[in-house]
Amino acid sequence: MCRKCKVLILWLVLVLILSGCGHEEVWNPDNDITIVAREDGSGTRGAFTELFALEQEEGGKLLDMTTLEAQITNSTAVTIGTVAEDEYAIGYISYGSLNQSVKALAIDGAKISEETIKSGDYQIARPFNIVTKTYKESSEVADFIHFIKSRQGQKVVSEAGFVSLEADADYKSSGLSGKLVVGGSSSVSPVMEKLIEAYQQANPQMEVEMQSTDSTTGVTATLEGGYDIGMISRDLKPSEGSRGLQATVIAVDGIAIIVNKLNDLDALTSAEVQKIYLGEAMTWEAVTQR
Amino acid sequence: MKLNKFKEYFMQGVFFLAACVSILAVAIICYFLFEGGLPAILKIGPLKFLGGQVWRPNNDMYGIFPMIVGSLYVTAGALLFGVPIGILTSVFMAMYCPKVLYRPLKTAIELLAGIPSVVYGFFGLVVLVPAIRSIGRTLGLGGNGNSILTASLLLGMMILPTIIGVTESAIRAVPSYYYEGALALGATHERAIFRTVLPAAKSGVVAGVVLGVGRAIGETMAVIMVAGNQPRLPNGLLRGIRTLTANIVLEMGYATDLHREALIATGVVLFVFILLINVSVSLLNRRDKNA
Repeated sequence: MCRKCKVLILWLVLVLILSGCGHEEVWNPDNDITIVAREDGSGTRGAFTELFALEQEEGGKLLDMTTLEAQITNSTAVTIGTVAEDEYAIGYISYGSLNQSVKALAIDGAKISEETIKSGDYQIARPFNIVTKTYKESSEVADFIHFIKSRQGQKVVSEAGFVSLEADADYKSSGLSGKLVVGGSSSVSPVMEKLIEAYQQANPQMEVEMQSTDSTTGVTATLEGGYDIGMISRDLKPSEGSRGLQATVIAVDGIAIIVNKLNDLDALTSAEVQKIYLGEAMTWEAVTQR
Repeated sequence: MKLNKFKEYFMQGVFFLAACVSILAVAIICYFLFEGGLPAILKIGPLKFLGGQVWRPNNDMYGIFPMIVGSLYVTAGALLFGVPIGILTSVFMAMYCPKVLYRPLKTAIELLAGIPSVVYGFFGLVVLVPAIRSIGRTLGLGGNGNSILTASLLLGMMILPTIIGVTESAIRAVPSYYYEGALALGATHERAIFRTVLPAAKSGVVAGVVLGVGRAIGETMAVIMVAGNQPRLPNGLLRGIRTLTANIVLEMGYATDLHREALIATGVVLFVFILLINVSVSLLNRRDKNA
């Protein structure tokens, strides 16, 4: 190859590489929105599609019409990571997992906080449930559930940033010993971790292990015996309830719609969010054309 | 005397057992796959399963065609990046490399081979995805970094050590009189290598490439983190796709009944692909030997 061609190719490669690094991005509203969604079995996704009416009736069944262009991430943490890295991204996560690396939008005029979720002003919320097969009142499972619903348990819940329920009586440790496996939703995991920590302090003889997967895995594994207690970030479906599972609400959680901190938007209406996730508005320009 | 003969037969038996265990392992995997997956394929309908373009398990739609295309594109891309660089690197290492450079280069490549896939995935997520994203946006091509291009680049890197290792051994195994004969006939160093040694090492090179294809088509963790995982047909080099392996991993945790069986059937499809590749390569080799 001639010397000139080699030099030309070298320059081209250099330009391509340099254009990729250390480049000050100017916000371009015509760029595609990076739509981030969760996998099918996620409770957060289930609650999100229901609350934003992304389902359509077709042939007697409800179809999830989330656009096929949406990028699928398989946990809350990866969603936050993806949105924090990409200026044009939008995603949805559990409010309790919200941190400083992303920005939560106000939906229909209501900013997200414990107060607005409790008062109902912020309408995008869903219950955290724990599911079990039928259990004895004397077992470790029953004891742990008593703890969660007690004053001490609900204190842990609200300190973790979730909306707590009306607490039952105080919890008294009965000195049980044994092992429990709790698994399921990655949205419930942060608060469950704190509940397990507090429970193990009150009952040093109990060993509770937690596995973070997703809501539907929690249901399936509880049915099959892999988990003693499943955690789900949605309600039990009728088909799951008829297989012998019972659900107990332990907290209420809001779903935060997050965007990158460099995004100028602070609020969206639920119709606009629906437009984005149905694939009807592919760029930020198209969304803000009200 | 008799003890020696007994020892002989005993060791023969031990080696035979070892071989049997290997074959047993393959047989068990085959059996599990086909027993779990074939009924699902028949229930869904082979044409609907392999040709269907909609994958929506919640609504009983199990078409894996987009994932098949996704796996093929990503593997092809990996070969495009990995094979030329791999072969040229092994030619360099076998025929051009100064002795001082050889040891560090060999160590570096062996290190590449030892890196776990998840680490490759993180590398892709943290370095490649933002880089491709800003290149794409600067050139106005769109996309958000998680794309076929990123996955191909990453997989190309992962199959490099495999291809280089096998190809270099194959080149070194070519008898020296091929090279010397070419030189004696007046060929330059470069021509002697590319016209006599490399063609003579062809079967080894092909073996290396096949191993690389096997690794690329089966790679899961790294691809999930950089490919976007959209369950639809590819619509651009800078847009995401989902591979067969990613499909299985993303949903196996919570799949039940027909959904789970459909995922096992996806495994069957993967298995058949690898079988086809291996069979066609051995056919090629056989024809080559007879020629």
